Amino acid sequence: MNPKVLVLIGFMALSIVFIAIAVALPHGTLYVVPKLILMALAVLFDVLAFASRYYTFLILPFARQRKKNIVISDQTPYWLSSTGESIIRREAQDFIATVYINIPIYVSASEMTDEEKARFTMQVSRLVGLSKEPVRFTAELYLMNKDSYIQKLKDTISRIEDDEAKLVEQKKESPELEHLRGELSMWRKMLDNVSSYTSYELGTFAAVSARGVKESEAISFAQQRARELMSGIGTVLGVSPNIVVGNEILKYVEPEYLIPYSTITEQIARIVRQEV
Amino acid sequence: MDDQGVAYLAFCLVILLTSLSVLPSIGKGIVVIIALAIILVGVFVILILNFADFLFVSMVCSALGITIEPAAGYRIVKQQNAIIKNVNGLFYATGYVTANLFPYVFKLEAAAENEDVKLITSPENWERAVMNIGFPFKYHVLSTGMDVQKSRDELEGKRSYEEFQMSRALQNKSADETTITNIQRRLNILQSKMDRISQGEKPIATVMYVETTAIGVSEKAAVDALTQQINDLQISMSSMDVDLSRIMGREIYTLFNFNFGLPCTKEELEASFDMQS
Repeated sequence: MNPKVLVLIGFMALSIVFIAIAVALPHGTLYVVPKLILMALAVLFDVLAFASRYYTFLILPFARQRKKNIVISDQTPYWLSSTGESIIRREAQDFIATVYINIPIYVSASEMTDEEKARFTMQVSRLVGLSKEPVRFTAELYLMNKDSYIQKLKDTISRIEDDEAKLVEQKKESPELEHLRGELSMWRKMLDNVSSYTSYELGTFAAVSARGVKESEAISFAQQRARELMSGIGTVLGVSPNIVVGNEILKYVEPEYLIPYSTITEQIARIVRQEV
Repeated sequence: MDDQGVAYLAFCLVILLTSLSVLPSIGKGIVVIIALAIILVGVFVILILNFADFLFVSMVCSALGITIEPAAGYRIVKQQNAIIKNVNGLFYATGYVTANLFPYVFKLEAAAENEDVKLITSPENWERAVMNIGFPFKYHVLSTGMDVQKSRDELEGKRSYEEFQMSRALQNKSADETTITNIQRRLNILQSKMDRISQGEKPIATVMYVETTAIGVSEKAAVDALTQQINDLQISMSSMDVDLSRIMGREIYTLFNFNFGLPCTKEELEASFDMQS
């Protein structure tokens, strides 16, 4: 039986039991307070029975943990499949595999005639109605990842700083030292310049999920759905969609890939330096 | 409200209403009044949960300071309107905004009118909105195809009901003009939807929402930045004919889970949403 139904029946049964006990208790001033407490508990469990429709995920961990920070799960919410083409999530006894499809669209309304604009809107409408199964189409504006470039600049700066320090220790005023200082100044300006402005990218993708009792089964179903969807997207938009693989998927899932860590911390550090 | 919601409401209210009949067994005078008050509070809370659970539960969590950890590394704040992730001391706050078409627009009454203008201006409106937004966001359209015949039968059923309401209103001499106009509008909307299906359009069910992430050096800074971003989103996308309201409560948890696994069937999708979306 569905656990939600069990929770509903359980709470309703508790509510009825408390009402029955309140009724069964003998009359008298001694029993007034217990009767009212039992009635209040009956009402509370009845409310919980109703709330269990949407809040079973919260009520059960709260009852078990009885603290202000309710931990629903202490596991990572997903893992990458061994093939790297989908992410997997466990839900009760089943596995859910999700495949991300990149849709390369490089057109702008500013370059279109009215007729092309109308046609493009119609294409998007047809795209949304492509599948009988739930599909999510997303347009994502994200920060361009400059992390690796910034790291490379930082490594270069620190290497040159080391070389400069060695020469300074030798107390030699040489053309080589001047050259290093000039180079250092150049790389620092470059780092400042790179982190001084934010560049954005706009991407479009679709995601589709499938359920399976085994991980491989879920992956296989999801891949099949993705292939069908890709063929539909290709026909409607006239582009070549591709399945996103490996760490590229994280760009659509994790917030730190939406706003890359080093890119943004360098920018924050620069603003703080300016303010100081 | 769907069938499941009606069943839950009926079962739970029946218990409370039945308990009214046993009130004389509880006691007399003030005791009965207190017991009655307790039952009425229960009925009131159930009705609030039925129509605006996201407001009530968020209020309770905020008052009691309850936070939720939906998965390792993530935390839903006590106001239940943002999810926080701490990455090496930098806080990423993610929030959601509904972006569904308004449940009622005059254009629905006459779908063919202004259709061309709408088709032409849509890409421009979208690009203008994106250009005005200076922070990361995701615009999601979660859609699923519906059975054409079933949708048509459903619409015909609704139209018959509205026609019955109309004939009753016309027979009733005390019915005012507003009632008749409202029924006529609903009939026009149903008719235009049926016309669209007849012209070959495929009926689809969609849920549209916007996700945005803000950063901050503290949790509060990130949540404040997120609130600012959501306000900016609401302004920038106001030209797009969509209902933009911030999502709070359990649907934050649902949408968070959608990042890692979508509903696999239409029924699962329908069960995930109720009032806000």
